[in-house]
Amino acid sequence: MKKFLKRFYLGIILVFLYIPIVVMIVQSFNAGKSRAKWEGFSLRWYAELFQDSSILGALQVTLTVAVLAMIISTVLGTLAAIGIYSMKKRPQSLMMTMTNLPNTMPDIVTGISLMLLFIFTKVERGYLTMLLAHVTFDTPYVILSVMPKLKQMNKHTYEAALDLGATPGYALTHVLIPECKQGIITGAMLAFTLSLDDFTISYFTTSPLVQNLSTLIYSAARKGIKPSMNALSALMFLCLLVLLLIVNRRTAEKN
Amino acid sequence: MYNMTLPWWAWALMGIGLAFFAAMVTISIRRNRGIKRSLFAAPYALWMLLFTILPVILIAYYAFTDTNGAFTLDNFRNFWDSNYTKNQLYASLGPEAAQYMVRGTVNVDTLVYSLWMAFLCTAISLLIGYPAALFMADRHMKMGSTIVVLFIIPMWMNFLLRTIAWMSLLEDQGLINTLLRAMGFEGVQLMYNSGAVLLGMVYNYLPFMVFPIYTSLSKLDPRLGEAAQDLGCNDWHTFTRVTAPLSLPGVISGITMVFMPSVTTFFIPRVLGGGNTMMFGDLIESKFLTEGNWNVGSALSLIMMVLILISLSILRKADPKGEGGGIV
Amino acid sequence: MVENERLIELKGISKEFDGVTVLDNINLYVRKKEFVTLLGPSGCGKTTTLRIIGGFETPSSGQLLFEGKDIAHLPPYKRQVNTVFQKYALFPHLNVFDNIAFGLKLKKMPKDEIAKKVDAMLELVNLRGYGKRHVDALSGGQQQRVAIARALVNEPQVLLLDEPLGALDLKLRKEMQLELKNMQQRLGITFLYVTHDQEEALTMSDTVVVMHDGHIQQIGDPKRIYDEPVNAFVADFIGESNILHGTMIRDELVSFADHDFPCVDFGFGENVPVDVVIRPEDIMIVGEDVGQMVGTITSVLFKGVHYEMMIDTGAFTFKVHSTSMQPQGSRVGLNIVPFNIHIMKPMEDAAHV
Repeated sequence: MKKFLKRFYLGIILVFLYIPIVVMIVQSFNAGKSRAKWEGFSLRWYAELFQDSSILGALQVTLTVAVLAMIISTVLGTLAAIGIYSMKKRPQSLMMTMTNLPNTMPDIVTGISLMLLFIFTKVERGYLTMLLAHVTFDTPYVILSVMPKLKQMNKHTYEAALDLGATPGYALTHVLIPECKQGIITGAMLAFTLSLDDFTISYFTTSPLVQNLSTLIYSAARKGIKPSMNALSALMFLCLLVLLLIVNRRTAEKN
Repeated sequence: MYNMTLPWWAWALMGIGLAFFAAMVTISIRRNRGIKRSLFAAPYALWMLLFTILPVILIAYYAFTDTNGAFTLDNFRNFWDSNYTKNQLYASLGPEAAQYMVRGTVNVDTLVYSLWMAFLCTAISLLIGYPAALFMADRHMKMGSTIVVLFIIPMWMNFLLRTIAWMSLLEDQGLINTLLRAMGFEGVQLMYNSGAVLLGMVYNYLPFMVFPIYTSLSKLDPRLGEAAQDLGCNDWHTFTRVTAPLSLPGVISGITMVFMPSVTTFFIPRVLGGGNTMMFGDLIESKFLTEGNWNVGSALSLIMMVLILISLSILRKADPKGEGGGIV
Repeated sequence: MVENERLIELKGISKEFDGVTVLDNINLYVRKKEFVTLLGPSGCGKTTTLRIIGGFETPSSGQLLFEGKDIAHLPPYKRQVNTVFQKYALFPHLNVFDNIAFGLKLKKMPKDEIAKKVDAMLELVNLRGYGKRHVDALSGGQQQRVAIARALVNEPQVLLLDEPLGALDLKLRKEMQLELKNMQQRLGITFLYVTHDQEEALTMSDTVVVMHDGHIQQIGDPKRIYDEPVNAFVADFIGESNILHGTMIRDELVSFADHDFPCVDFGFGENVPVDVVIRPEDIMIVGEDVGQMVGTITSVLFKGVHYEMMIDTGAFTFKVHSTSMQPQGSRVGLNIVPFNIHIMKPMEDAAHV
């Protein structure tokens, strides 16, 4: 009985979390444009999606920014984590404070401050500035995922590698980095998803000419979103779900 | 394809930085001994200096200057009295005009309203989220990791779209009202009020409350619960005396992760509040993008940052070891 | 009267986890003021037995009697037993004083009385003045004392200890063994102790219960367990042994390692396979010409008090302890007196007696 109540409670919360998603997916198959009235099943919006240059353009911006930001911030962040890890106490805590700063800064302030920087230095806002902004908020998360792995690592493994004749460079690439591989992957995935989902910071650091999905949705929110946008999110959702299942299957096989 | 132009000095700066870093790394690898690995953090440090520290300094600069770049505190006075400039003018016109001076409270009111809404959102999320985290971490349920994934999946949908989807549920011709009318009831005004904004906020930020609490609960040594039972605790006492105090770090990081974004959100009130509910993030955005008043906008941003830093440091006091499990 | 003495009694207790039997028909009783040790390798079921008595597991079948009443389904907080957990399980959010006072506060005892009792406990475990310390700031040995104090302050009828000294270093462990034994005798509390360390079990206990694979192998006082192991498992687990397969030719005559030896055992039947156990210190090294067997010394190790030699007779390599050293490679004779040859039924049968 107790168990049932607990499950019931969790079930209700899950329903709450999934309702809008179900609504969205259903809407994407609605023949009409109305958000509330069901006018029959249709793949019309999916067909229109592939004709819609503004959505496809925004998708391209979103994905390329996410991938580029992920790559740059993973390299930058991993190097930084190794660097910070081998620092003395004082500079180390200074660097960690700086790393935690963006976490404690509201998105809107980060976005506005970067906007001010770009305007102040007369850099035209657009694709590149958005990418810079994304790398800026992604990198601390990469560091925060790699750092614990470095700390968990047995300090002597690096020394053992040196003892066995490895040069510091070899030990770095063959011992240190593989040891925190899991943290690097987590950090990269985190960076990718954060950048994929970001709205506020992108909103302030790009121009209306270069839009990602979030800013495009925002500019259309008041007038009403095109149902093909729902179709796109349904497709992206499906892709992520399939990806998750594959990953799950893989890890299950490994075990 | 996209405009990639940067001023020449930006390229030059990047070039010099890269060359310097490459040289340092090559030298230290060549030498093989005494390699300075802390150098690896140099590009990051430079990056943060340029794109985090410098921008914050810029905000402070704008907050304390007027449009001519002269030092002033007027922007903060403007926060306290949104009619400040007008009142100054009246005051200068002599006692006749001074009677028209009225303090404009819109900025302070908006801040208070935002804090109140964020507080409500945090409290509701905690109230709903704590039991959820507790049940998820329950070892006898054997469902932990699956249900965590189920909580994460909705977050993959663009959060703007998810919020807009609530619109189609709540609006006048939306699903809920259509259902109500079909059952013979009156339609209800669900959108464009504080309740709708609150719902949207709780919906979006609830997972950020659940995850850290779940993490800290599932890290708990089950023997501690057994020890409590052994020493005479029934289930309720075990919870109040052992489980709850030990999950405090998670609760605190959950509160941080919900409170902060909910004070500053400006998308949710725009969509679900429909302009009837102005929140502080809203206000800042409009100062910059609608009014173009960077100086006051910067002052408001600075005030918000300081408020958040103060509340964070208060929360940190309650969790001195900073053990709160984050989403990471 | 004898019945009354039985404080705890396990009758036919079995436990299954997901279809795997970890305890099979355990029968055991513990008398008042007795120091009983459950001894066995990891996975033998000793900790599960303790957890059933503590109330953290419910048996799949069988009865758990406490002073004659079945308490198998009573929650832990209603039992008059307290536990010292493996790795202590101290509450990290409380200081030493509050950890120890935890149980008393639940009993709604007045504050001054709690303070008095906790101070007395701190005194008992040699931690006077440590009340305000944070438990994380204590050494392993000190944490261990707090864990003991936290349990004892509730004046339980029985104290359950689950490998309490496992995390301590050797020297500290020896000290704590003596201290625990003293405490138990002074306070007159029944101790039920779980360990995998045979030496610890033999040093401290009144009664040792040897467990293996969810079965009780042997119950007895330490000397009896050491001198008269009922089967090869017990013999091997307690102390060092030479274990050989042999044949009981007839009463008082056994054959192993290609030789016949007179012994003192009887009643096995004629020409039946048996296990033979000989302690290394019971094999005497004699001249090559007078030994019952002849062998070559293949290795010699100095062990502090004695030498440990491996002696190969061709049929078997015996481990022999002796205070006098013979050079490696030399040939020697070996003698075993009948009294020191322990004959037992082969393992498979013994487990189900």
